[in-house]
Amino acid sequence: MATELGVSDVLQARKDYNATLASAGRRERATWFPLALLTLLVLLPALQITGGHNYTLHLVLYAMMYAAMASSWNILGGYTGYISLGHNVFFCIGGYVSGMILAYFGITSLITAPLAGLTAAVVGFAVGLITLKMRGPTFIISSIALLMVARILFDHWQFVGGSNGVTLPQMDIPAQWAKLPYYYGMMVVCALTVWASYRIKHSKFGLGLRAISQDEVKAESAGIDTRFYKVLAFAISAFFVGMAGAIWGEYITYLRPNIFLIILVAANMVLMCILGGKGTVAGPIVGAVVLIAFNELSVTFFGASEINLLITGLVMVLALKFFPAGIVGTLARKRRLPRVLDWD
Amino acid sequence: MPELLEVRNVVAGYGSGPAILNGADLHVSPGEIQCIIGPNGAGKSTLMKAITGLLPIRSGEIRLMGERIDRLRPDQILQKGIAFVPQERALFPRMSVRENLRMGGYTIRDERELKRRIDDVLHRFPILSERASQHAGTMSGGQQQMLAMARTLIVRPKIVMLDEPSLGLAPMIVQQMFDIMRQLRDSGMTVLLVEQNAVVGLKNADRGTVLDLGRTLFSGPARDILKDPRVRELYLGKAAA
Repeated sequence: MATELGVSDVLQARKDYNATLASAGRRERATWFPLALLTLLVLLPALQITGGHNYTLHLVLYAMMYAAMASSWNILGGYTGYISLGHNVFFCIGGYVSGMILAYFGITSLITAPLAGLTAAVVGFAVGLITLKMRGPTFIISSIALLMVARILFDHWQFVGGSNGVTLPQMDIPAQWAKLPYYYGMMVVCALTVWASYRIKHSKFGLGLRAISQDEVKAESAGIDTRFYKVLAFAISAFFVGMAGAIWGEYITYLRPNIFLIILVAANMVLMCILGGKGTVAGPIVGAVVLIAFNELSVTFFGASEINLLITGLVMVLALKFFPAGIVGTLARKRRLPRVLDWD
Repeated sequence: MPELLEVRNVVAGYGSGPAILNGADLHVSPGEIQCIIGPNGAGKSTLMKAITGLLPIRSGEIRLMGERIDRLRPDQILQKGIAFVPQERALFPRMSVRENLRMGGYTIRDERELKRRIDDVLHRFPILSERASQHAGTMSGGQQQMLAMARTLIVRPKIVMLDEPSLGLAPMIVQQMFDIMRQLRDSGMTVLLVEQNAVVGLKNADRGTVLDLGRTLFSGPARDILKDPRVRELYLGKAAA
């Protein structure tokens, strides 16, 4: 039986529904939250005054590194829609450029990281010119091919130590404070990457990238030089991953291809991004924190075995079942995203 | 009044296939709404694609204000002042209304000028203004059609061409669409549309052109075409009565 509704009821119901839809994008951002988070990260090393928090700092540094890399990957994979499974090549390039400068000239990666990022960006630009002619699965395969080529190259390049790699000199700092320069270095890289990701998303360039991800032909007909945009996004993305690699290389004090060039590193960037919400600003950070937290918990409960990979897989399956567009993406669609995570 | 757009004896087809347009003619005057009608397969949408440069013509000529445009690329034709809203509307569903409008003016470098034009268009379409931050994909078909039209206006074209603007829309929304077209005409713009629903199209147009088998059969004031017994018998049927 039909519900008895007057015309005014129907009109009011329509008006309310439309108002809900229209207001969806008008939420005010809680800009204080990222700033508060950054302040907390700045102050966290103060824990070391009481000593014994080296592992906490290491864990936060590690999370910041992946947050930076996933955010950086998001510029290409999330905004532009091109899934790269070989992005750790730029992580490796960054690590080796800064690492070799440190080994030969004694200049720390905290200074040379931008140069390492720039080198990764130049390589990214050149590679992008070739591989970004492809789309979809073909592009994904080309990115894996890039990773394989890089692995062979670095494994056999004796100047950079081949598969044995290179041991890097350490800073002469007491163990209690030894992590701090790299902690702050990685924090700067992470903050810069997230800021750049936010700025790109809200720029005309970012609008163009998002148009490409939705429909490349329509984007082209709107006047976008799609090829240049894609290649530029690839290079920018490579730049930040390269900077993270530079800091990480010196932090762990040695360079070896099997640290940088295993597919797990690239897969982590992708998985964190997808878990958090591809194409959102906060998503890669949320994804990085959640995945690393589950990894740590599994190590705590099950020991340092490969069971953490199983846990990671399980987390991904369950998360994507309930959050198909990633945690941030799905909550935003359902209009249940906490304001503190609405960075878009 | 001098012609704004002239299509003379145009022959065009897809790839090496048979010609769809077999000598089509069209004359569009400034400040009018002209409706092209015809049965399925008459070449109406093909004519639109030929004018906008999406389909190269094999022979004949197309002129905008006397200047030949039939050898120009689609983006060059857009810059000359012909904007096109295809049947599928070509919106970006996961972008907001405002972002879709920005995409319409992507080639405008001056951001302030672009913003001014977007505000101007939003003023013209209050329903879009209310939904500026809503994703295009979540809007109704009618609202999407309005957005598609609004988007073409960002580049301030001389002619707005619409391919089947009433397709899939409720009658009330169709009437709203035509009201907007009249507003555009009254503000000095020219509207050229292809309409499967011939009666509705002609009732709302100033001038009509009947296309069949890729050729122009009749052209004249829309009211005269509506009354023409041949047109009524061949294309309008009982609906025109």
